[in-house]
Amino acid sequence: MNATAVPGEPAATGDALVSVRNVTMIYGGGTVALKDATLDIEQGEFVSLIGPSGCGKTTLLRLLADLIEPSSGTISIGGKSPAEARRDRSYGYVFQAPTLMEWRTVLANVMLPLEVMGFPREERQRRAEAMLALVGLDKFADKYPWQLSGGMQQRVSIARALSFDPQLLYMDEPFGALDEITRENLNLELLRLWRETGKTVIFVTHSIPEAVFLSTRIVVMTPRPGKIETVIPVDLPQPRDFETRETSRFFEIATEVREALRKGHGYEVEV
Amino acid sequence: MRARAGNLGPMAVVAAAAVLLYLPLVVIANYPLAQRALERGAVMDCEGPLACAFSLRNPVIPAPGQLFTGIYNLLLPLDSPSAIPINAFWTGAETLVGLALAALVGFLFAVGLVLSRAFELSVLPWIVASQTVPIIALAPMLVVLLGQYGVQGWLPKAIIAAYIAFFPVTIGLAKGLRSPDSLTLDLMKTYRATTFQTFLKVRLPASLPYLFTAFRISTAAALIGAIIAEMSTISFYGLGKMLSENARASDVVGTWVLMIASAALGILLVACVGWVERLVTPWRR
Repeated sequence: MNATAVPGEPAATGDALVSVRNVTMIYGGGTVALKDATLDIEQGEFVSLIGPSGCGKTTLLRLLADLIEPSSGTISIGGKSPAEARRDRSYGYVFQAPTLMEWRTVLANVMLPLEVMGFPREERQRRAEAMLALVGLDKFADKYPWQLSGGMQQRVSIARALSFDPQLLYMDEPFGALDEITRENLNLELLRLWRETGKTVIFVTHSIPEAVFLSTRIVVMTPRPGKIETVIPVDLPQPRDFETRETSRFFEIATEVREALRKGHGYEVEV
Repeated sequence: MRARAGNLGPMAVVAAAAVLLYLPLVVIANYPLAQRALERGAVMDCEGPLACAFSLRNPVIPAPGQLFTGIYNLLLPLDSPSAIPINAFWTGAETLVGLALAALVGFLFAVGLVLSRAFELSVLPWIVASQTVPIIALAPMLVVLLGQYGVQGWLPKAIIAAYIAFFPVTIGLAKGLRSPDSLTLDLMKTYRATTFQTFLKVRLPASLPYLFTAFRISTAAALIGAIIAEMSTISFYGLGKMLSENARASDVVGTWVLMIASAALGILLVACVGWVERLVTPWRR
């Protein structure tokens, strides 16, 4: 059970924005993707889910998004079920791949969710342009996706996820396919977006420096079966910049995350 | 498909190779015929079998001069009902109407295949079977059948063209409609998009490149379908009607000219498909 108080985790008061209680996910073939996960996320937090492949981090995000349903346990998002949260368009989802529609211009891609949700035409245009400006791509509005670099495409995908002003932003290894330099720039950009929009971000990654740099808390997950190993708070001061990565506190927290991951690995070897 | 200045060189090389292959082929095909004719004492305006291979009255492959004369004779006058332009126009029109019908039917079948596994299992074998029936046997029956209900003239030919052309469209469109990856479909799910919205905004646009690839194949097939339909039924115009007349008259040169005309019409129609494709899918490189 994860009910024992984990240092840094806020007490389960019931008024957390996202509340995960004893959630287990077993897939059709009997694979236990996630075992007995319990987690609270407060409004305005930036929480990273980190762990190796098969630790259930993507599964947890998909459960929160109501893309799959848990085998047991309860999830509440703003007091609602994930299905209701999806119905109310409470979250924007950014996938590993940009998943842009190649036949739409950058602007039209950002307008896609607004079209689906029935926003009026002028409103769609206005919001999409504002979102592109927010991610610094307003000059590329009329380009097609293939004319953009991978990093730019992923920024369009973030603009698209924010276009309908959801409360939550779910990000599933959004920068995993990008080179290190582009990734560090986008990390900084993402922190700026997080500060400016005040969204609650849940961010899946397998990069320790990325998790430490971005997060207010890091949820360390371990595989076979996928479970939450521990939750590590990140007390690095805001706003963070490139120098943050060179502070000794950054290395201390990164080491703490690494050791927690190794603990999980020992478990894996035993089995 | 677009001809650019940089591509003119290779195009010229291939055309030159075709011409260079053509001359030896004329000799290889006609030499024995010319030799036998001379042995039988035929009176010809030429010296020896090699020269006579280029001036046989009924050659296996017409010589360049014979071919050009044949083209000139069959191409003009432009408005003659027995010349190529009007007949090619009708065959082309039948093909295009056939393609439009094929697109409609193919779309309905493709949607059915994508939406329902039961539809796929129960209908797909019949669709495949429909394509294995020799069209040359089926065409006259279809024309008789349609004639009983007053459908005559060019429309039965278009329907036969469509009969051949709908198959690649069905298979291509079905593949295209299934082409969006699971992440894209998940994305639409996070927007709570309806099945119809996902179809309209994701599946349909994603299928367009597949559709046009299928169209190129279908165009060639539909043209052959229209010509065969014209040949195997009572026709008053069309390249197929001209071909069967030429065959009855044993006019070898005319047959070759009509083959070239059919090929040219095919190239033109496929080029039209490419042109429409660029118009409809401007996002592609």
